[in-house]
This record gives sequence, structure tokens and C-alpha cells, in this order.
Amino acid sequence: MKSRVRELRGEHGWSQAELAARLGVSRQTVNSIETERYEPSLTLAFKIAAAFQQSIEAIFSTEER
Amino acid sequence: MLYFLPTFFSVPTMSRRSIRSLNPLLLWGFVLWALSYMAVGVVAEAGVGGSGGVRYVVALLPLPFFLMWLVGLLREMRAMDELQRRIQLEALGVAFPLTLVLIMTLGLFEAARPLNPDNWSFRHVWQFLVLFYVIGLFVARRRYRYEA
Repeated sequence: MKSRVRELRGEHGWSQAELAARLGVSRQTVNSIETERYEPSLTLAFKIAAAFQQSIEAIFSTEER
Repeated sequence: MLYFLPTFFSVPTMSRRSIRSLNPLLLWGFVLWALSYMAVGVVAEAGVGGSGGVRYVVALLPLPFFLMWLVGLLREMRAMDELQRRIQLEALGVAFPLTLVLIMTLGLFEAARPLNPDNWSFRHVWQFLVLFYVIGLFVARRRYRYEA
């Protein structure tokens, strides 16, 4: 699954640790999502979407960008 | 070793905690279990308790402390985030089949020729389960290791 988390995090100027704290997860979880080695649960995807004020579809997709 | 498992093998980006801030059930459960386990070994060798029920009571003394440690471990796991739980699950996914192979192999050996209980018994097998779990954690943690 393709993820724009790294790109959006950069736009907000947040570090992985800051985003992890906002989401209530470890930095490793954020890193694994950004490097597309881990697909977040729906609950976590909603939290990510809320943190970036975007829709889930705008952040995650199954197609190559 | 059992005491350090949840922290030593936790995800590397979790903040390292001092021993003081660790779950006291993990700390004291492990310390008391280890001490009582060694003590029971010495007492059993010495044949204390004769052949009566006291022998069983003495042999089971480490169990409450191990259960204490186990409760601490479960609390640690509940506090993990979803990736950390996934890593634990994948570790068990490695450990469980390895355990099956070990027990089946021992069973086949046992069928061919009875094993010496001084070398192979329940006292020995559980230590391999810990080893397999550690191997599983190593494999799972490598998959989700930090990448820039």
C-alpha cells in the first residue's frame, strides 16, 4: 500500500517522534508505515488522517502514484 | 532472561526505561521466581520433604512468582501499540512451529528409545520455548527495523 505519510509529515514540519506522540504509537510504527513495511489498522489510519486533516484516501492508496 | 525479554526485545525506538520505572510485577516476579527456582532445585537434589506431599508443595513454590511475572508481561503487552503487538505475534508465529517440531522430534526419539529424563524432560523443554520466542522476536524485529 502506498503512503503519503512521510510527505505530509514533512509539510507539517513534524519529526517522526512528534507524529508518533500525536498518534499515541512508537516511532518505529511511524517509520514502518512511511517505508511501507507496515499497513496501519483502520483505527490508526483514521488517526493519521485526522492528524493531517485529510481523508484516508488522500493519504493511503493501493495504486502506484 | 525472562525478566528482560519484554524490554530488551521491545522495539528499539521505544524510550529506554530505567529499572525503577519498569513494571514491578516483572521485576519482582522474575527475581523471586529465579531465586525460588534455584532454591527448589537445590532442595529437590537434597531430597527434602521425603516422598510425601510436602515434596510437591516445595516443587511448586516458584509457580506463584512466575504467574506474577506473567501478569506483568501481559500488562506490558497491553500497553504496546499495534506494530509492537504485530511483532510479538510474528515472534510467536515462528516459535510455535519450532516448538511443534521439537516436541514431535522428541516424541519420535521417545518412540525409538526412551529418553534419559536427566537430559530431556519438561524441565528442559520449556527453556527451548523461550529460546524459540527470542529467535522469533529477532526475525520479526528485523522486518520492522528502523530505516531512514
